[in-house]
Amino acid sequence: MSSKKSHIFDGLLSDNTVLSSLMVISPIIICGESLKNAVAIIYAFSIITFFSVMLSSFVPKKLPYAVKIIIYALISSLVCVPVKLAAENFYAESINRIGIYYPLLAVNSLIVVQTEAKFFCMKKLRMTASLFFYILGFDAVILITAFIRELFAYGTINSRMVDVNRTIGGLAESFGGFIFLGIMCGIYRAIRSRISHSSAKEDNDVSDN
Amino acid sequence: MRKAVKKDRLAWLDIMITLLTLELMAYFYYGTRALFTALLCMTVSAAAEFISLRIMHRRFTADDLTCVSDGLILALMLPAFIDYEIVVIAAVFMIVVAKCIFGGRRNMIFSPAAVGYIFILTSWGKELLTYPAPHDRCGIFSKPDTLVDSASHIFNLSGKLNYSDFELLLGNFSGPCGSVSVLLLVVAAVILILRRDISAGAFIGSISGTAILAYLAPVSDIRVDSVRYSLIMNMVLFASIYIISDRRIAPRRNYYAFFYGFFTAVFAYIIVLTTAKENAVVIVSVLFTPIALSLRTLERSIEHIRRKDEKAREEKALAADDTEVSADEQ
Amino acid sequence: MFLITDFIAFLAANLILTQALGTSTLFIAAGNRKSLVATASVITIFTTFGSASAYITDRLLPVKYTDFTLFFYTLAVGILYVIFLSALFFYSREKFDKAKKYIHVSAFNCAVMGTLLTINGRAAADSSLMHLGRYMLSGIEAGLGFIVTALILTAAYKRLTSSKVPASFRGFPAMLVYLGIISMAVYALK
Repeated sequence: MSSKKSHIFDGLLSDNTVLSSLMVISPIIICGESLKNAVAIIYAFSIITFFSVMLSSFVPKKLPYAVKIIIYALISSLVCVPVKLAAENFYAESINRIGIYYPLLAVNSLIVVQTEAKFFCMKKLRMTASLFFYILGFDAVILITAFIRELFAYGTINSRMVDVNRTIGGLAESFGGFIFLGIMCGIYRAIRSRISHSSAKEDNDVSDN
Repeated sequence: MRKAVKKDRLAWLDIMITLLTLELMAYFYYGTRALFTALLCMTVSAAAEFISLRIMHRRFTADDLTCVSDGLILALMLPAFIDYEIVVIAAVFMIVVAKCIFGGRRNMIFSPAAVGYIFILTSWGKELLTYPAPHDRCGIFSKPDTLVDSASHIFNLSGKLNYSDFELLLGNFSGPCGSVSVLLLVVAAVILILRRDISAGAFIGSISGTAILAYLAPVSDIRVDSVRYSLIMNMVLFASIYIISDRRIAPRRNYYAFFYGFFTAVFAYIIVLTTAKENAVVIVSVLFTPIALSLRTLERSIEHIRRKDEKAREEKALAADDTEVSADEQ
Repeated sequence: MFLITDFIAFLAANLILTQALGTSTLFIAAGNRKSLVATASVITIFTTFGSASAYITDRLLPVKYTDFTLFFYTLAVGILYVIFLSALFFYSREKFDKAKKYIHVSAFNCAVMGTLLTINGRAAADSSLMHLGRYMLSGIEAGLGFIVTALILTAAYKRLTSSKVPASFRGFPAMLVYLGIISMAVYALK
């Protein structure tokens, strides 16, 4: 039971889309420099990915791999249209700044690669729950990244000035995104290995007893 | 092995001595502020290295003191009156991001000081590229009222300089606090090359690359002036000694190192010529790191093939001897 | 001299180093050095031919349907995907088995789509770029940029995956930081 549970939550921590598999990192590197952009990306990514994967799950499994991938990509590019139209009302300001990264979310690796490799090997209900946590994992990472980068690059939180003595402009640039994400990945791995070490130790202790 | 470690430590000591003489010159021109900036940079670098090594469960040994020389190189490339906060952030960045993340001194990829410099350039470019005039001294916590453009900036834009040869030789012109004393830099280069502390190939390559191009495509009206000034300005001499010729980064064999240094300098010169970018050589040295790494891999492959050939030849010779002996016995 | 200035401009326009497009694909391909360069080469083919089909799409698609640009680009890349796979299959079964994984990775990703959308954006801003030659040239340029980045990564591959790198940073995190520093140098040149 516990292993099954951990499998569903995998996407949030132990198999995080961004930090573990390094997927969908372009929007985080480029657009994850302010909370406003991050919220707009979260909205688009969550809806596009969720609906695209759910709709794609109805595609017959017997079709050749290449054909299925093309259909998944076509479905997500269609889902992207209403999402973008709605976003133009809610996040008009962010849409311009995000630019091509908005439509690019439609061909993200979670839809194109992970669907076949991971999601469609599960039962529907389980897949839905797992997908939800994978999306949540991405959302959490971009939110944390955007918060820290905005704070130290611009000295603001959600465009409100805060008392930061020395801002680091480079953190808002693409190279800042690369380096910051690299460091975050390293820290994430260190924490993950420490947790797995301690849980393995606990298991050993229990079995010894 | 012990001999190699000893040699590395002596090399570090030599480099530190030459850097300290440059720092002394910086003190002469800009006062205690330059000294304090260098001290801060070295202390923060050492602290960052110490903490990083502790996190990696490694011990801080005498060999890890290279971080101090990296800190001093960075400090010498900065204006004397740059904010201390910037110095601290850049020193931490250079040690943690450009060095320790890749495994520290055992697995060097970039020159930490060059990365630290580019980091400041991209985040606080304006603060980095405005300098006090020489002899404009201030206390540790005060700043001069007026800051000016560097001599390199003026040279890149106009191709002319209003300084006497004596002033140029002593570094009596506005620019980074420790990297303009030409006379000291030349002496440092000669000493470090003779003691094999820096890559002679990379240094000669870098200097000849700049000189040849400055002669063929001059920045100034007079070719000789163009060569002279191009070598002095934009930290070319300083970077050629302490960044491009860094033995930890440059290819090991002088032959390959020469071409690495040569092309780095050629690229940097063309950037200066076409875009008037100040101190482009530092940026190009980081961009050319993959080339240095590839050349090192190539060297290793050639060495491996050579050893294999030698071994095969020895085995063949031994086999031939054996057959001769057995033939004699029969 | 002009070659070098062109190379610098080319580096400054690199889609991975400046816009992080296709970074995930680069890391997927970074399993080994050989596949890194092979994937980059296949992506160049996709960006080149993909940009030609993007040109046709942009020419034929009525303005009121521009919201569906992405859909038609996806369709065009999908068709190319099938054509490449079929061509390789009929050419040589052995080569098909060897190369199909590179084609799978290279078809739908941010590198290809990002290139097409970037070219589309540039053409929308400047009508003089609305030309098949310009589109294909931009596609080749983007693909070559991807190859250059793959080579940059390949040069340090051994060191970035070495046991000397702390376990938490070994591999992908070190690669990200490495690319970040190179990207920082490119940014400083601008």
